[in-house]
Amino acid sequence: MLAERTIENVLNAAIETGGDFAEIFVEDKISNSLNMIGGIVDKAVSGRDFGIGIRIFKGFFSVYAYTNDDSENNLIKVARSAAQAITGQNQDIVFDLRKNIFKNAHEIKIMPNSIGKKQKIQWMRRAHAAAIGYDSVITQTNIAFTDSMQHVLIANTQGVLAEDMRSRNRLAISAMATNVSEKETGFVGPGYFGGLEYMEQLDIEAYAREAARSGKAILNASFAPSGQLPVLIDNGFGGVLFHEACGHGLEATSVAYKTSIFTDRLEEMVASPLVTAYDDGTMVNTWGSLNIDDEGMATQRNLLIENGVLKGYLIDKLGGRRMKMAPTGSGRRESYRYAPTSRMNNTYIAAGQSTPEEMIASIEFGVYAKYMGGGSVNTATGDYNFNVREGYVIRHGKIAEAIKGATLIGNGMDTLQKIDMVGNNLKHEIGMCGSVSGIVPVTVGQPMLRVAKLTVGGRKEDK
Amino acid sequence: MEIKDFQSKLFAKGKKKGFREMETYYSATKSTTVNVLDHEVKNFAITEQRGISFRGIYKEKMGYSYTEKIDETSIELLVAEAMENAESIEMDDKEELYAGADYYESVNQYSQAASNLSPKELIGAAIAMENTALQVSPFVKRVIQCSAVKGEGETIIANTKGLYCTAKYTNLSAGIYLMASDGGQTTTGYESDFTWKEFVAIDSRVIAEKAAQEALSKLGANSIETGNYPIVLRYDTATQLLNAFTSNLSGEVVEKGFSRLQGKLGEKIAGANITILDDPFMEDAPGVAAFDAEGYPTRKNELVQEGILLSFMHNRKTAKNAGRESTGNAAKSSYSASLSVGPHNLYLQPGQTTLSELITETETGIFIVELQGTNAGINAVSGDFSLSAIGFLIENGKLGRPINQITLAGNLYEVLHNIEAIANDLRIKGTVSSPSIKIKSLTVSGK
Repeated sequence: MLAERTIENVLNAAIETGGDFAEIFVEDKISNSLNMIGGIVDKAVSGRDFGIGIRIFKGFFSVYAYTNDDSENNLIKVARSAAQAITGQNQDIVFDLRKNIFKNAHEIKIMPNSIGKKQKIQWMRRAHAAAIGYDSVITQTNIAFTDSMQHVLIANTQGVLAEDMRSRNRLAISAMATNVSEKETGFVGPGYFGGLEYMEQLDIEAYAREAARSGKAILNASFAPSGQLPVLIDNGFGGVLFHEACGHGLEATSVAYKTSIFTDRLEEMVASPLVTAYDDGTMVNTWGSLNIDDEGMATQRNLLIENGVLKGYLIDKLGGRRMKMAPTGSGRRESYRYAPTSRMNNTYIAAGQSTPEEMIASIEFGVYAKYMGGGSVNTATGDYNFNVREGYVIRHGKIAEAIKGATLIGNGMDTLQKIDMVGNNLKHEIGMCGSVSGIVPVTVGQPMLRVAKLTVGGRKEDK
Repeated sequence: MEIKDFQSKLFAKGKKKGFREMETYYSATKSTTVNVLDHEVKNFAITEQRGISFRGIYKEKMGYSYTEKIDETSIELLVAEAMENAESIEMDDKEELYAGADYYESVNQYSQAASNLSPKELIGAAIAMENTALQVSPFVKRVIQCSAVKGEGETIIANTKGLYCTAKYTNLSAGIYLMASDGGQTTTGYESDFTWKEFVAIDSRVIAEKAAQEALSKLGANSIETGNYPIVLRYDTATQLLNAFTSNLSGEVVEKGFSRLQGKLGEKIAGANITILDDPFMEDAPGVAAFDAEGYPTRKNELVQEGILLSFMHNRKTAKNAGRESTGNAAKSSYSASLSVGPHNLYLQPGQTTLSELITETETGIFIVELQGTNAGINAVSGDFSLSAIGFLIENGKLGRPINQITLAGNLYEVLHNIEAIANDLRIKGTVSSPSIKIKSLTVSGK
C-alpha cells in the first residue's frame, strides 16, 4: 500500500520534535450497499474509502492527523504539522520495520467483489418473498445488503509492520406489520466476518420469517407494565445488557482517566458469583473478530470477570501507558478518520447451569425480554438503558401476553450483582457499537439471564 | 490531481460508456481539535478530508458511486460501479438531473477570522474552560472531555446540464463534559456552544459554569413512585423528541410507507398550538444553506401550521412521485451516501411564556433535563418511546429534589396533541430544535 521507505520517512518526520512513538494507519476500503423496499431495489451505492492516519505520542500526550493524499511529500508534510504540537528534542529513536507475518485465522472463501450485484439482489429478493409471504399483516419489507473489503496497513516506531484484509457482509431484514392504526417492524440482521460463502449457505427464508413473526408479535403486543420487576433476558442479543452495563465501563477509554465506576476495582467482587465474562477477538469468522487490532497487535481472548471478580480491562496502547498495563489487542477504530482506542470485539457472559424452562418457571410475575434493540450507558455513573423490542409478561411461571417498546434501566454494578440465575444456552448476536473511535462491528452474547429486579419503563394508560 | 481536471476526465469517460447525464458532488473538510485534561493538552488532532460522489443516468436509471482517492485509477472504478449500480435499480423513477436555478438566496456561513484562528487560541479556551469548571465547586471532581474545535469546508456540485453550486463554511465550537460527586453519588453535566463567525462569540466561562451547575444540581437524586405525571421537557430534551419525529415528515419515508402521516396532508395531526417550520435562511443556524444536495434552491417551508399538516419535505425525486414541487430538502449525509431527504433548520415555533413560568404554572409534575437511549428507545414508525430520564420534582410550582432511575414513556403522535404550553426559549444548535414544552401527562416508571 505504501513503500517501506516511505513509511520510514513519514514515521521519522513524525518524531522529529521529540515524540516517543509514532504510528501510521493506511486504509483502502471498498464498500457496497444495496437497499430493497417492497421487493424493488431502490438504492445501490458503492465506493472507495481511502486515507492515512498518523499518530504521535509523547508520554500521555497524543496527536492525531489524517489525510486522503498518500503522496510521500504530503504525508511528510502532515506528519511534520502534527509533530508541531510536540515541543522537545528528537529522541533519535531507531527502529527496524519487520513485516509481521501471521496466519489469517478467518478464512475468506468468496471475496465480496467476485460476485455481481445481481446475485446479491437474488438473496435480498428471497428475504423479501419469505417475509411478505409469512402473513397478510406483513405489508412492507426493507432489505439491506452490505459488504466491504477493508485493506489496512499498520506500522509504528516499535518495528511493527502489518497488513490485513478484513471482509464482512450482512443481510438486514425489516418486516413491517400493519393494522388499521398501527405499524410495527420486526428485524433480524445476520452477518459474517469472512466471505460471501456465508450468504450462500445462510437459511435466508428462516431469518426472513423470523423477522415477520416478530413484527406480527409486536403489532399484537400491548404496552409493558411499569415499575421494578424480575426480568428474564433471553440469550443472544440480550448480551447488550452486559455490553452497556459493564463492557463500556471496562474500556481504558474511561478506566485510564478514572472516569469509570470500575476504575481501581481489579480483584474486587463487582458482579454476582454466577457471572463469568470474556471479550474474545479471536472467535473464528465472527462479526467482531480481527486478526490484528487497529494498532497492529494480535487480538486475544480477554477474561473480564471470573465468578463475579473483576479480572481485566480492555486496553489500547495509550490507555495502557496511563494504566501502566499491557494492551489487550483491543485498539479499534471505525476508519482512518479516528484515532484508535480501547473497544470491545466479541463480548459475552459464559454459560451457567440453569435451563431456560426452570428459569421461566421461577418467576411469579415479571418480564421476559426476547428481542432487544440497542442501548447506551453513562460510564461515569454506570447508569445504562436498553430497549426491549419484543417481550412477554411472565405470570405464574408461564409466558403470557406479548409486550412491546419497554426500556429497561439500571446501574451497572448494581444490576450485575442482581443476576441470580444464568442459563446454559449461550448464544452470540451481531451489532454495531458507537463510541469515541467511531462505529465498529461487535458481537454481544449471553445465555438466558434472570435479574432479580430491574426498572421496566412501560406505559400505564391514562384513566 | 486537481478536482476540475478529475471531473472533466470522469465526465468524458462516463459519456464514452453510455451515461446520458452526470453529476459530481465534491466535499472537502479540514479541522483542528484540542482536548484538554488536568490543565494540559491531552490530545490534538488535525484532519483533512476530501471525497467525490458521482451519479449519472445510465440506461434511464440513476447510478451512484464515490471515492476518496482522487486519481486516474478511481475514474475507472467510479464509472464501472455507477453502471452496475444503475443496472441494479428496479425503481422506475425517471430521474433527471437539475440544470440549476436563476436565483439562489445569498447566505453567509464562512468567516476568514474563524479560518485563521490559531491552535493556541483553541488551547487557551479549552484550558480556561476546564479551570473554570473545576473552580465552581469542590464537588466538581473531574473533567471527562473538554475540547475546542475549528472546522471548515467546501462543497461543489456540478453536472453536465450546467449546474454549478458552491459553498464554503467555517465552524468553531467548544464543549465540556464533566463529573461531580458528593462521595456517594456521581453525576455528569455537559454543555457546548458554536459559531461560524469569531471565537469571541463563544464564552468558555459560561459553558463551563453551566456544565458544572448541571452536574451539581443532579446530586442527591433518587427515583420516584411509578405513575402518570405532567411533564415539562427542557428545550434540549424536547429537541431530542422532535428530532425523532422529524423523519415522519420526510417525503421519502412517507413514499415508502414508513410514516403514519402518509395520506394526512391537510388534516389535523397536532394541537392548534403546534407550528413546525424549516427555515434554511435563519442567521447563525448551523443548517443554513442556499441550495440543497442536488443544487436545488432552498426555501422556508411551513410543514405544520396550527396543527394542520401542510407539506412534507421533498427532494426532486420524491416531489415528482408525490405530484409536488421540491421543497429544497435533498440531503446527503456525506459523499458516500446516496441522495435522501432531510431538514436544514427545522423547529417548533416558540410561544410567549418563559421556561420558569412553565414550571410555576405546574402544580405537581416532573421537569426533565436529560433523556438517554434515544438511539433505541424511540420507535419512529409507531411513535412509541420509552427513555431513561433525569429531572426534578415540581411541587406547587417550584423545583424540588432531583430524580433519576426513571423512564419516561409515551407516543410522539399523541404528545403532539397534548402539549399544554410552549416556552419562548428556542435555541438553535442543530438541524432540529424545540423550545421547552409542557406535556399534559406521560408515564413515569420508577419505584
